[in-house]
Amino acid sequence: METTKSPLAVGLSAALANRRLAGALWAAMTATAVVAWLPLRTVSSALDQSPFRETVLRGWDSWAFLSGIAVKGPELASFGAALAFAVLVSLAVDLFLSMGTIRVLRAGVRRPVLRRLVADGASLFRPALWGFLRYVVGLVLWTGLLAAVPALLLSKLAGRDAPPNGPLATAAFWWAVVAGTVVFLNASARFALARIALARDDAPSARGAFRVSRQRLRGHRASAAGIVLFWLAAGLLVQALFTNLGVGLDPSTNGGVLGLVVLRQLGFVLLAATRVGFWGSFLSWEEGRRPKAAWALPHPAFASASPAATPAPATPAPVTPADGPAGAAAPLDGAGGPSREA
Amino acid sequence: MPKRAPRAPFLVLSALLLAPAPRSSALTAPRKIVDYNIQVELSPKEKLFTGNEILRWTNPSSERVGDLRFHLYWNAFRNDRSTFFKESGGRLRGDDADKDKGWGYIDVTSMSWDGKDLKPGLKFESPDDGNPDDRTVLSVALPRPVEPGETVELKIGWKAKAPRVFARAGYVRDFFMVGQWFPKIGVYEPAGMRRRPVSGWNCHQYHANSEFYADFGDYRVAITVPEAFVVGSAGALVSETKAGGKKTLVFEQRSIHDFAWTADPRYVVKEDVFDPAKDLPPDEVARAAKLLGRTEAQLREGFHPVKLRFYMQPDHVDQWTRYADAQKWALAWFGLYAFPYPYAQVSCIDPPEDGSGASGMEYQTLYTAGTWKALGRWPLDRVRFQEMVVIHEFGHGYWYGLLASNEFEESWMDEGINSFTEYEMMDRRYGSFIELPLGFRLPDEETGRVATIASRGIDPIIRKSWQYGGTYGLNSYQRPATVVNQLRRVMGEEAFWRAFRAYAERWRYDHPTSGDFFDALQAGTDRDLRPLVQATFYGTATVDYEVVSAVSRRREPFKGFDDRGNEVGFGNDSKKAEAKKAKGADREPYDSRVVIGRTGGIVLPVDVVLTFENGKSWRTTWDGKSGWLRLRTIYPSRLVKAEVDPDRRVVLDRDPWDNARYLEGWKGASAGRKASAYGLHMVQIILSTLWGLV
Repeated sequence: METTKSPLAVGLSAALANRRLAGALWAAMTATAVVAWLPLRTVSSALDQSPFRETVLRGWDSWAFLSGIAVKGPELASFGAALAFAVLVSLAVDLFLSMGTIRVLRAGVRRPVLRRLVADGASLFRPALWGFLRYVVGLVLWTGLLAAVPALLLSKLAGRDAPPNGPLATAAFWWAVVAGTVVFLNASARFALARIALARDDAPSARGAFRVSRQRLRGHRASAAGIVLFWLAAGLLVQALFTNLGVGLDPSTNGGVLGLVVLRQLGFVLLAATRVGFWGSFLSWEEGRRPKAAWALPHPAFASASPAATPAPATPAPVTPADGPAGAAAPLDGAGGPSREA
Repeated sequence: MPKRAPRAPFLVLSALLLAPAPRSSALTAPRKIVDYNIQVELSPKEKLFTGNEILRWTNPSSERVGDLRFHLYWNAFRNDRSTFFKESGGRLRGDDADKDKGWGYIDVTSMSWDGKDLKPGLKFESPDDGNPDDRTVLSVALPRPVEPGETVELKIGWKAKAPRVFARAGYVRDFFMVGQWFPKIGVYEPAGMRRRPVSGWNCHQYHANSEFYADFGDYRVAITVPEAFVVGSAGALVSETKAGGKKTLVFEQRSIHDFAWTADPRYVVKEDVFDPAKDLPPDEVARAAKLLGRTEAQLREGFHPVKLRFYMQPDHVDQWTRYADAQKWALAWFGLYAFPYPYAQVSCIDPPEDGSGASGMEYQTLYTAGTWKALGRWPLDRVRFQEMVVIHEFGHGYWYGLLASNEFEESWMDEGINSFTEYEMMDRRYGSFIELPLGFRLPDEETGRVATIASRGIDPIIRKSWQYGGTYGLNSYQRPATVVNQLRRVMGEEAFWRAFRAYAERWRYDHPTSGDFFDALQAGTDRDLRPLVQATFYGTATVDYEVVSAVSRRREPFKGFDDRGNEVGFGNDSKKAEAKKAKGADREPYDSRVVIGRTGGIVLPVDVVLTFENGKSWRTTWDGKSGWLRLRTIYPSRLVKAEVDPDRRVVLDRDPWDNARYLEGWKGASAGRKASAYGLHMVQIILSTLWGLV
């Protein structure tokens, strides 16, 4: 059965349907946030024994903020270190969970989610990590080559004595912005597709997965970039909406603060849902660009009308080594799919 | 390249004629010591200035003066042996010198008095540091001394090359900022002037951190440039002639002590007028009248229209209205709280982004602002940099300009007082300097104050500008501004502003010293300001008030023998006491004890407020002298909060976070939880954004 939905529609359906998955992603992100938040709590709890207690409850107190920077230096330094650590941990968790997310979506099974998420994430973490390094190196390289170097050349062309913000300088700036964005979108799409290739056993390693992703992207870069852009925008929208709403509420009671926390976490769950949507869209997009095999079946994640139609196998499916990018699609591997090493 | 022809002279003249004349007493300096008549020609390609000047100088002292001293400021850029270069390392305010082709100089080619050649008597001096390689102060031995009150007329020829701009003056491409550019005579201070015991020259070298000081006089300057150049200058344009592809513009200005100009073919000139009838905000006039104890009509007296010119870079033209708005507000504010601006015009120069070393600099009737294209666009347009720089640099026109303090020796009197007035103007007009996302604002005053409380005092505020141990900026700008703010809070609003205006009016055109400022404030209050002044301006003291401890518990019921020898609460009475306790009839009042402490050498009176569970509060004022204060109260209600300085009057408090203590029984919500919730949200935003991008 061919899916008639567009990848974005499939992504939206996946985002709405896989609530448990979104919840698991939110929980993981929040857990890593707590690592950085704990030292910050030391600073903020000092507010309750300070002259800023009542003013902060009434709203913004700029002097509490500025003097806090001046007198709470060591505490804020601890927070900075914890934040840096949390960012690293969070990055690893994201890579870990993204692989599990793809597998869970491919399996099309909504529960139990956590076990699958962790098991699949663990099995594919190493190649995903290599893939990430490849992505970072590629991003830096291509940004340098396609965005920075031409912009620099344009600036050089303008000469040292060119007035600031002249036509060439402006062109250089916009070139850097546009080319940088294009490079980022392309690199993101490639990394996403590489992770899908790994999850689908199209390639045994990060290198092979990137090769597969290049083949998938060939001739279809714009639509892939569009997906990245769409879900980035959706995430930004959700974040802006809930942040503004939260600041607007500005609670001054303990109950109000609790309500605010709940409201904001709802926002972050929605944000996690956009990640699910992102992967749903990309899986669908990728499905449409796979070499067609006579026996290929539609992916369960896209057949959202019958989610229970593909129950998780009680035992892992037999491992079918993938033959690389040109090979036929791997069998639907289900939640307990093969473990792989890079 | 966009070019703009200069305005016809008649337009300028007619504008000036139409404007009501300012009161002559305000416009004219009472003492005219110098009179400059300068002709200068700019060769843009070579960055050369060829000039000659006729300088009339009057000996203001009662002694004969046998030599003259001149500033040759551009010799600071002559080589890397100058005092300026040694001190700055060729870097100022983040801008680097071009050590390849960017050097500059000024050479006196001729000097004569009454036909006598003075060149043989010229020599360089280094009165501040003895640097034999510094060429920024020139001494001229005279063939005969100048008699007291005598006016000499010197003819001076000179040639100068502009440095590539990184420190106030110089060029970049075809942009020229021409400040401190001609041989300028130093100040001969008679005994008594600026409290000096004996007469003598005050003519310092050009230092990395020093700015300027000069005598008032009249200037007539004829500037010759290629026709394509747009010239902005101090003073009013009185004539313009063109010949051979060049044009000569003549500017005149009375009662100034500094003359700067600029030339750039790319300038786009925008004009506006400050009209007191519509640009004086009525609510501010009413506020000033109340604070100063004057009628609104009295305050409006002396205001007159002021012609405003904005010399904009083409890529910044869309930002000129922000400059103009701030300029008008500054003219209104200074007119109310100091005195009305006496001159007929003011010019705001917008340097190019690659000439930012020229930005943010004050001269008289002209100053440089500065912006970037990006600052006019979202989200950076939430930073009110343009407004701040206009208000700050125009403000210098009062402190360095019209009062003319000595910036070499007492930099705080210009920068510090000016930062104080900048904070006041910015926050009254715009509410904040920076508006962070989601409406979080940072007031200008607090951004300066935080620098003060975060610093470790290693220098007093009053120091010669080249003698600070790396704290010139802090002790010239933020710290004195915050201390003046503290003085204001000690004196009270009305007393402070009346004394402030009295200071400005008294010392207009008269070169005040730090002592004159303190005397003016002291005259306005019964409170003794000297200890605070001594501790901060002449010392490095700080202060921190805190609630050291606060406890509140029920007083124990009486136990022991009473005066008649009866046992109370024990022995025979113990059963009764237990019965009373069981009935709850033994409710004793609360015994509350609070200790307030002060550390640091600054002593300021502070209020202390104790708040009780029943909502009542008790306030007292502590003079702060003893170092600590213990308060004890027996009261039926439990103490739930103790706070020192609840109205935040001690702006110098190094750690305001320890100024309150909340006790059990406080009914309010937890601010910590709220901030913590926001903190968690912030971290989540960072992490989820990361997830969205990878």
